[in-house]
Amino acid sequence: MGSVKAVGRARDIRLAYLLLAPAVLLLLTVLAYPVGWEVWTSLTDLSPLKDGAPEYVGFTNYRRLLAGAEFWRPALVTVVYAVVTSGAKLALGLGFALLLARSFRGRALVFLAVFLPWAYPAGVSVIGWYWTLNPPTTTAYAPFMGHLKYAVDGTFGTGAWAFVSVILFNIWRGSSFIGVLLLAGINAVPPELFECAVLESKSPWRRFWLVTVPLLKPFLALAVFLSLTSAFADLANVWMLTAGRIVFPIIGTHAYFLAIKAGQYGPASALSLTLVPVLLGVLLVLFRLFDPPRREAA
Amino acid sequence: MNPRSWWAKLGHGSLMLLATVYCLFPIYFMLVQSLKTPEEDVFGNPFIVVNPTLENFAELFERKGEVRGFVGDALRRSYPFLDWLANTLFVFAGSVVATLVASVAAAYALGRLRPPGFRWWRRVILATYVVPQTILFIPLYQVVSALALDDSMLALLLVYPSMALPFCVWMLSSYFEHLPREIEEAALIEGASRATAFFRIILPMSRPVLVAAGIFTLGTVASDFMIASVFLLSPHNQTITAGLGTFDVALDELAAVAGVNVLAIPVVAISAVFARGFVRGLTASMVEGA
Repeated sequence: MGSVKAVGRARDIRLAYLLLAPAVLLLLTVLAYPVGWEVWTSLTDLSPLKDGAPEYVGFTNYRRLLAGAEFWRPALVTVVYAVVTSGAKLALGLGFALLLARSFRGRALVFLAVFLPWAYPAGVSVIGWYWTLNPPTTTAYAPFMGHLKYAVDGTFGTGAWAFVSVILFNIWRGSSFIGVLLLAGINAVPPELFECAVLESKSPWRRFWLVTVPLLKPFLALAVFLSLTSAFADLANVWMLTAGRIVFPIIGTHAYFLAIKAGQYGPASALSLTLVPVLLGVLLVLFRLFDPPRREAA
Repeated sequence: MNPRSWWAKLGHGSLMLLATVYCLFPIYFMLVQSLKTPEEDVFGNPFIVVNPTLENFAELFERKGEVRGFVGDALRRSYPFLDWLANTLFVFAGSVVATLVASVAAAYALGRLRPPGFRWWRRVILATYVVPQTILFIPLYQVVSALALDDSMLALLLVYPSMALPFCVWMLSSYFEHLPREIEEAALIEGASRATAFFRIILPMSRPVLVAAGIFTLGTVASDFMIASVFLLSPHNQTITAGLGTFDVALDELAAVAGVNVLAIPVVAISAVFARGFVRGLTASMVEGA
């Protein structure tokens, strides 16, 4: 009997690997060579501007980066960008989710409104946003947007308006997704747990921190991870909304600039790889929080 | 009704209104722009449209390549918008199908068959999101060329699923993992094969989660701007996103905003139809030990 089971198990495992193959192959095709290329390139002086084979330069690119302002300024801006956008997305998203959790008249419509910024195709809405915030000079609202732009740029430096528009776009779209994700999370928590909390404490504020947040912890953690990776990787948005003017560089756009405009593939690769350990660290912490809960063998 | 609850109701209502306006305003604004005549675009009130027109949309489909004698027309490049539309449809539908097939297979393996270390498999798959996309398109272009897919929509069918797949596998596998074993076992005992049990029992009951995964994939695919513009070069092979990226702001503003809406309206309609299913599916994948 036992051996029959063992044979069945072995067959299951073989089947499992077979079924995993397409997904894993797909990810490997898209990621394995490019990541390997990036790691190798970060250790060389590969450049389209240089004749001959690339030379191995060891960790020179990394050392130069860490020594110069070329790394620390984008790094600082990136951190500010990620913290501000993630914080705002979480706050707004949680707000949406809590508002929508109770039923009321018209909830379906408000829910749809909250869902749309994410569902609206960002590949083109970013184009629309760019032209709304930086309109061609002929449009009726161009003078107003122009004044706004110069006011912001005058106060915080050239390019500030573009940076603000990226942040606004990122928050607008991200808070929508996080709101929906957290709403789904709230629905997944048995309502009795929230009802008990109402009996336990009268203060809504205490209840929020002591009950709602801990109950939603796995979903908040998942939201933080998705928000962070998209905030760091969000090159296209920054690129599009600033039309290539990189005054407030984040690591992604600065690496792009180094690679495409300056032809320095080595430093560009090193720069973008600096994100990986940070994000992996965050992910390992978050895994503890959002791994699907273990079910004891029954 | 006591006064306190009256105030609470007012507060709740105005928060709702605020949230709705905040979420919808940019979408509304883009819709209004696309319905304007050039005169109204220059002299009118930016927030409303007095004489709505569909000429911007018509123009998208009209200019197919003939350059007429007028300087103004010659400056405005022509573009095969119908091709873009068809390409977009093909790429989006193909990506959603490919992503769903690959992630359901992988998720079933991880959630039901549970090979050794299945939690780590799932974690590693999700961890691919930490790879910075920044300049990855340079080596990715080499991969795509090596596969002879450059300037082909098939390149997007390769890259797009890899962007949505990790989250879909995560979601689906945690759903499958939480389904009680007995569901399949009853069928297996009655002599059904694993495949039959899967297609007859597991798959139909997973519909909400499949819908959620599909909508997530659609949203992810539709959000890409970078990959489409880098990989699709010749106008006839471009998707709407890639094509609109090449528009000249000053000359084609209204047509471009109309183009944004041509893509957005169907995507938004599909998402709106499945919006509730999206939440239900996400919830189903999150419920503990159901």
